[in-house]
Amino acid sequence: MSLSARIILVLTCVGLLSGGFLATVGLLTKERIALNREKEIEEAILAVVPGASSSQKLYEGEGLTIYAGKDASGVLRGYAIHASGVGFQDKIVLMFGTNPALTKIRKLAVLEQKETPGLGAKITDEESFLRYWEEKDCTTELKLRKPAASSPQELSPSEVNTITGATISSEAVLKTVNLSLKLLKGLQLERELLGEEKDEE
Amino acid sequence: MKNRTLAEDFYKGLWQENPIFRQLLGMCPTLAVTNAVINGIAMGLAVAFVLIFSSVIISSLKKIFPPQVRIASYIVIIATFVTIADRFLQAFFPSISKSLGPYVPLIVVNCIILARQEAFSSKNPVGRSFIDALGMSAGFMLGLLILSSIREILGSGTFLGYQVLGSWFKPWLIMILPPGAFMTLGILLALAIQIEKKLKSRS
Repeated sequence: MSLSARIILVLTCVGLLSGGFLATVGLLTKERIALNREKEIEEAILAVVPGASSSQKLYEGEGLTIYAGKDASGVLRGYAIHASGVGFQDKIVLMFGTNPALTKIRKLAVLEQKETPGLGAKITDEESFLRYWEEKDCTTELKLRKPAASSPQELSPSEVNTITGATISSEAVLKTVNLSLKLLKGLQLERELLGEEKDEE
Repeated sequence: MKNRTLAEDFYKGLWQENPIFRQLLGMCPTLAVTNAVINGIAMGLAVAFVLIFSSVIISSLKKIFPPQVRIASYIVIIATFVTIADRFLQAFFPSISKSLGPYVPLIVVNCIILARQEAFSSKNPVGRSFIDALGMSAGFMLGLLILSSIREILGSGTFLGYQVLGSWFKPWLIMILPPGAFMTLGILLALAIQIEKKLKSRS
């Protein structure tokens, strides 16, 4: 066999074999990987909408996904909004829950971030950031408290806290939440959300 | 060099030819993922998996690769095992896969793996290549463990997530940031060179 024929044969075989192998591995793991992602989202929804025990996707578009959180008897306990925004280093993906009337933010959770460890990464920290987001009045736009307050009681109902040294990350979270709320309320005005909701119940 | 025993094939990866401290190969994952011990262990295991399987396959097939395309063939084989490792982590250890991020797919370009194929597996029988890969993986794992233990203990005050230093300890943030990786590695390399010098002067 000439050298070039051998080269072609060997490379083709190596490519085909590893391709076939990878296709098999891909098929075997695909389901589990998708399941892991769903589970992660489901857990986040139930965590940000207190009292909810099941969730249902209502709307997807414009960079946000909206879920309804319902309790065991099917009563709507609130909405969970899955959104992302640009942080200091990379995308910040977060989830926050509201009450059914969309007047209050129940809780916030940060799902993905690559902020600076020890500074911006504190947005995932309960003690220094997340607890300041509980039960916030979101009838108007939320505002950032700067310099940072040291306890949730110091903040007004529509204020959230800054992380000292990580204003950009705190602002990025706030901006994402405010923008999502604006879009969400726009949707509600068009009765897309509520309309769908009524049809089901 | 030619008459090495299997034990020597294994032990040289631990010290004499340790990939991190002596050969300085695979620096990218070494510096990037050693901010926590669990990440170091996961990276060490992923590299071990890829290195052992690639070495065995390549040394058993070494005669069929025409020399002109051997590197290309090696890379395809290595990439196959890396992708398997990546999918496996995503499916069964999603949180580890998330914290390692792009560094699992980047094992493809980890120099230790290609270097062992070129320097060892393509010239030696399957058994010896297997032992060599095992030794190199153990050496790499050892390096990652030392580096990540120092960085996690000083940078977060924890070891494998458990608090080991009391509340009096203020974590040195810099240790879990990139500069901490460079400083720790530098100090460890200096130490390794000192130890090697001492060993040499004694023998």
